[in-house]
Amino acid sequence: MDIAAKQKLRDFLVESLEKHGDKNPLSDTESIFVSGRLDSFATMNLVMFLEESFGIDFSDFEFDVSLLDSVDAIEAFVESQR
Amino acid sequence: MSATATLPQGGRKPSGHASLRSFLAIDERQGIVAFAQTRPGQLLIYVIALAVVSRYLDHWAAGLAVSAAMAAAALPPLRNAILFTATWTMTLVETGLGDNDFAERIGIVLQQENITEFSAAWLATGFLLLILIGTSGMLVMVRRNPQSLLARRPMLTLLALEAVLCGLTTLDILQGLPRLMLWSLLVTLTPFIWFLPYAIVDQRSKAPSPPLLHLAVLRPFWSPTYLPFGKGAAFLRKSLPKTPDELAVTQLKAVKLLLWSTALLALKTGLTWTFGEQLNIPSVAQTLDAFLQDQPYPIGLSWSALILSTTQFALQIAIWAHLFIGIARLAGYRLPRGSWRPLESRNLMDYFNRFHYYFKELLVDFFFTPTFFKMFRSHPRLRMFFATFMAAAVGNALWHFVRDIDLVARLGLAAALETYASYVFYCVILATGVGLSQIRLNAGIRPSPTLPGKLYSFLCVWSFVVCMHLFSDGSRNHTLGERLSFLASLFGVI
Repeated sequence: MDIAAKQKLRDFLVESLEKHGDKNPLSDTESIFVSGRLDSFATMNLVMFLEESFGIDFSDFEFDVSLLDSVDAIEAFVESQR
Repeated sequence: MSATATLPQGGRKPSGHASLRSFLAIDERQGIVAFAQTRPGQLLIYVIALAVVSRYLDHWAAGLAVSAAMAAAALPPLRNAILFTATWTMTLVETGLGDNDFAERIGIVLQQENITEFSAAWLATGFLLLILIGTSGMLVMVRRNPQSLLARRPMLTLLALEAVLCGLTTLDILQGLPRLMLWSLLVTLTPFIWFLPYAIVDQRSKAPSPPLLHLAVLRPFWSPTYLPFGKGAAFLRKSLPKTPDELAVTQLKAVKLLLWSTALLALKTGLTWTFGEQLNIPSVAQTLDAFLQDQPYPIGLSWSALILSTTQFALQIAIWAHLFIGIARLAGYRLPRGSWRPLESRNLMDYFNRFHYYFKELLVDFFFTPTFFKMFRSHPRLRMFFATFMAAAVGNALWHFVRDIDLVARLGLAAALETYASYVFYCVILATGVGLSQIRLNAGIRPSPTLPGKLYSFLCVWSFVVCMHLFSDGSRNHTLGERLSFLASLFGVI
């Protein structure tokens, strides 16, 4: 994932957090879903974002939210799917 | 951190609201967090929690719940064993004492079949132990056969089993002891079908939770209901504190939540006393009955009844959710609240998220997500809408029908389904509203953040909730048509 794509991902997550009334900063290693900062519905919005932005097909494997639990985890996941 | 350290920069005096928040933020003060880790601090937390929980549960149950929660937090190596012992002790003792509805529900068919040789409590206890043993075996089976239908589609499989058992107990050819046994299995299994899928899904993961923990959180002692407050073992494990400070903060938050639950209970009691007993606001059922007998109450009074009933229901959901999550937090689990400021909901989607968090999570995990990954993948809006519909309508309707499974024996299957039309209508309207709200949000249409905008959002969301409460109150005494007519009359249409 290049720098611009990672920034786009960060922006998406920060916007999602703000929609949930969470205006605290988000580091790349911080837990997003398991910590409860975002909920299951937001997970699906992230899934759609990753499908559209990176062409990932989530039906190919068993979905596990912990794979998408931080900016760094999502980056690693996207790289593993390429 | 001292109290003065929470003053805003620039030395301005905080507003009343901010000042109250600062005062209540005991879990953010280092001195209090440190004190909470000492023996006197733990004792104080224990005493406060016990006093609060005793308002809701019998003294023995409150003592067991609070003691087990704090022991589990204090003794991590024994955590799972303590949770298991507490959960199953509470389940079996409550069943023996008739404090839960297992024996009562078995008693319906015991009476219908005129069988006197068996005790409902003993039957319930026997079937509960059978479910405990059966669950242990099922977890092993799922680990060995991860491609089995049960492992891949746990909710679907368990609901199908529920439907088959339910159908069998209504067959005319099945009478006497066989019907009693099947019915006993059905009513004891029923609450667990909402917990077992979390355990099954976790068994398929790379690092599954220990079986003892799965068995410990099947209707855990902090919330022996039909809804998994705290979801399953996997979610609970992830929410454990990593440091003694985090544990102390979690337990302080637990105490705050339990006290908040008590405050809401006092508010609910006060509302009931003031409006119900002093101002004689009738119940919704009374207003409906009066309308159907052509002697309607004045429209204002009927609206008051509906608003009061909605408020009492919303408070009830929050009170129990705070109690359950409060006890779970005492055990160290850093769980999100079960109901989080529903009055601040900006749209229906937001309301669905805030009002009953763990119910919404259950619906999302086992109805929304599987649909989302399988249906309409090339049509994003339809995909989101349909998945939302499956959760808010189908899942919601199934959960409530299954919760009231005793009505199948009391009324018969046909009548149980027929009288459910009103709730199904509610589910469909709610799901449509939530789905449209979701689509609007994704299209970038957001409520205004200004004060008038917030007020407008509040009025829109809660007007909808109040009107829909007429169909979702859970009673089966009035038909959908009668309720629709009554609603029309409230708007002066009839």
